[in-house]
Amino acid sequence: MSSEVIGIWIGAILTLGIFSFLYKDNPFYKFSEALFVGISAGYWFVVTFWQYFVPKFWDNLSLAYSELLTKGRVDYHWIYLVGGFFGVLMLLRLVPKIGWLSRWSLAFIVGTTAGLQFTRYLESNGILQVKGTIMPLDLTYPKPFIAHTGFIITDILGTIWCNLLNILYTYSHWVLVVGTFCGLIYFFFSKEHKGVFGGAARVGVWFLMITFGALFGYTVMSRMSLLIGRMDYLFGIWLGLY
Amino acid sequence: MKEKLVFGNKVLLIFFLLLLFLFLGINITFAQEAGEAKASVDSLAQAPAPPTNVVARDAPNDNGHALVVTWTLSPDDGAGKNNVVSYEILRSDNPDTGFVVKGVVALGISQYEDKGAKEKGDKNYLPSHKDFYYRVRARADGIFSESVVSAPAYAYGQWFHFGKSPIFIGSVIFTFFVVLFINMAKKGKELYVRPIAGIDAVDEAIGRATEMGRPILYIVGLGSAADLGTIASLTILNRVAKKVAEYQTPILVPCADPIVMTVAQESVKAGYYDAGRPDAYKEDSVWYITSMQFAYVSAVNGLMLRERTATNIYMGVFYAESLLLAETGNVAGSIQISGTDQVAQIPFFVAATDYTLIGEELYAASAYLGKEPLLLGAIKAQDWGKILIMISLVLGVLAASFHFDFFVKLFQVKM
Amino acid sequence: MRWQIPLLIVLLCGVVVAVQYFVPLEELEFIYENALDWIIITGVFAMMLGLWSLFRVSISKVQNKAPGWGYNLITLAGLFGMLFLGYRVESLAEGSLFMKLFRYVYIPIQATMFSLLAFYVASAAYRAFRARTVVSTILLATALIIMLRMIPLGFLSNWNQVLANWILTVPNMAAKRAIAMGVGLGMIATALKIVLGIERAYMGRD
Repeated sequence: MSSEVIGIWIGAILTLGIFSFLYKDNPFYKFSEALFVGISAGYWFVVTFWQYFVPKFWDNLSLAYSELLTKGRVDYHWIYLVGGFFGVLMLLRLVPKIGWLSRWSLAFIVGTTAGLQFTRYLESNGILQVKGTIMPLDLTYPKPFIAHTGFIITDILGTIWCNLLNILYTYSHWVLVVGTFCGLIYFFFSKEHKGVFGGAARVGVWFLMITFGALFGYTVMSRMSLLIGRMDYLFGIWLGLY
Repeated sequence: MKEKLVFGNKVLLIFFLLLLFLFLGINITFAQEAGEAKASVDSLAQAPAPPTNVVARDAPNDNGHALVVTWTLSPDDGAGKNNVVSYEILRSDNPDTGFVVKGVVALGISQYEDKGAKEKGDKNYLPSHKDFYYRVRARADGIFSESVVSAPAYAYGQWFHFGKSPIFIGSVIFTFFVVLFINMAKKGKELYVRPIAGIDAVDEAIGRATEMGRPILYIVGLGSAADLGTIASLTILNRVAKKVAEYQTPILVPCADPIVMTVAQESVKAGYYDAGRPDAYKEDSVWYITSMQFAYVSAVNGLMLRERTATNIYMGVFYAESLLLAETGNVAGSIQISGTDQVAQIPFFVAATDYTLIGEELYAASAYLGKEPLLLGAIKAQDWGKILIMISLVLGVLAASFHFDFFVKLFQVKM
Repeated sequence: MRWQIPLLIVLLCGVVVAVQYFVPLEELEFIYENALDWIIITGVFAMMLGLWSLFRVSISKVQNKAPGWGYNLITLAGLFGMLFLGYRVESLAEGSLFMKLFRYVYIPIQATMFSLLAFYVASAAYRAFRARTVVSTILLATALIIMLRMIPLGFLSNWNQVLANWILTVPNMAAKRAIAMGVGLGMIATALKIVLGIERAYMGRD
């Protein structure tokens, strides 16, 4: 029996173990979950170590050391010691008396991140969003449309539908600007949602719900395809029914 | 003695040499004829007039390893002989020799940015503060003409990226708002913020867990400490931990990132400290499971059902696992409060949890829970930022509607 | 001192990285690129803390014979098994036992967990529908229109697709912009609070 066949059987059994969770928590699921956690934690550490730590820290410092030994010059790669320094400070958390030193590493990570995100998000979520929303609004009257399908009912339905869509498309810019405005009003914290302000906030909520509904609908199909993929694995690859 | 055939026999040698010369002569003649023919064929394909006025200057808003070359188009580009197909840009550090093609652009284009590498070892290295000279060739089919050499130019780094001026101005304005309102808060000014259902529900949810004698589960999300959504969640965790310490309810905080775990431990410990119960803090209440998404989720799902948590709070950066967590919490019968800035996951939280903080509300929540004046001051600054945005939108839309495009250009960012 | 130095580090790092965004000098670019690498290196050291935490919590449950302690043993076996098998860089090559465990244990379970979403999406939609509020109705109606655009329904498909495209490009875009702007303001306010030292909860207390 080849390792692939054994592997498929193991995968199928663990798949069924996870699916059993849909019924209720049970030893089969608990076993799959425990194994999953252990293997994933070990895998993540090994991959991170060999793909990030060794090239970025060990290899760079080795290069700097060999430059010092062979050419007697101090190479800029020694700067990676700073990362090692912060890493060791982090590990000092394990020593209660000097564990407070790990705050230096946290301060470095959080401070760098904050400075980085400040400007980038101001650009992407502030300036560029405002620029994208500024658009001309006009009061063009949409051209009426009459459907001719040969049947009176579809003519009427088609005419109503097409003219409705025509209005929606003609006034798209208005909808975009008003929707953005009302959405911003919803997120306003300094004033209670009452009166006209509350009405605008309510319109903002409707726009938000349209977005959430669109995202919901968008992802449903991809979720279904994941389930189909698993069924294919169980019935096609494991049981070989097709 | 046997004579050596070639060098020993004069007649044969002379005959051989005559044949050799005749052979070479014929070939040279043919080559000349071909060359001349080639030249004459080329002289039929006429060279375009060369580009003129080649100027090289430092590329603006960069780190000092790029030059911009501009020129006046060849008169035969789109007019005259109309035979230009492309322009080649050549560079050298010597005005007389060593010119190498650095770029090619199509006809009609009169500018090229020569971006070099900053590392010395790179073959495209362009050092700063060193003079370079350029020539531009106008190329037609198989033939070209070159401009005169440009004046020398060197690249240097700029002290400020003027293309990012709108962002700089925005940063200054927003920082001013934050400092202003925080100072107002320090002076004791009352700052009103409207109630948010999800945040008001936190107290009620913690009370429920205390009454039922079951723990609270707090999920910081799957982001790293480099995500501001995670930092916002950790600040909320601090406030929740303080309330939890006051109520003496157990709290469970499983983490998916080791750095987030260390920060979460500090946040929870600080919360217990602020509640005056530092001894009640249990280090094992905040622990690391695994960094891999679905392994983490499977463990948390199991935890929800086995520990039968009364309240689940999901705050931070979430991805596809959001629905798995929320639905399992529903099965466990927990009251659930969620908050994320990930727009794609908000619909699932809205559908599956009892209260959801949408986007910016996540960032405001820590101030709401702690009611600290300095943090409420920051919320005011956010609101003023929104007012400024709304004013910009109104002005911008009016300007665009009346075809005054200058307003849109104020928000243009050139990288 | 215990507080001054971390706050100074936060301020210095935050300001340098923010300034680097506007000042394209090579020296600042060098600091910025290396700072990102230092964060990664620190993260790997922190991973050891994470594994120690997982080990400690699991071992304490085993030692105390807490309910389900046997499963903690399985977790530890999986963890140490992978660490042992991954002791050299060649373990990451396809065909090694390390990668086989990843392929035949991790991948199927991950895919199955992901596929559970299909069931949960349906139950979430049912719960939202039961709520019967205006907002949940708008959410579900929009979801339905977007879902139906992928299904061939004859002439109704054309009608639905035109409406779906309008929904995606107009009201959906408007709300996304509003959320993005709000999130952006929240993020930069949080970033400022951290850099200025107003927000310090992440540093704990003594």
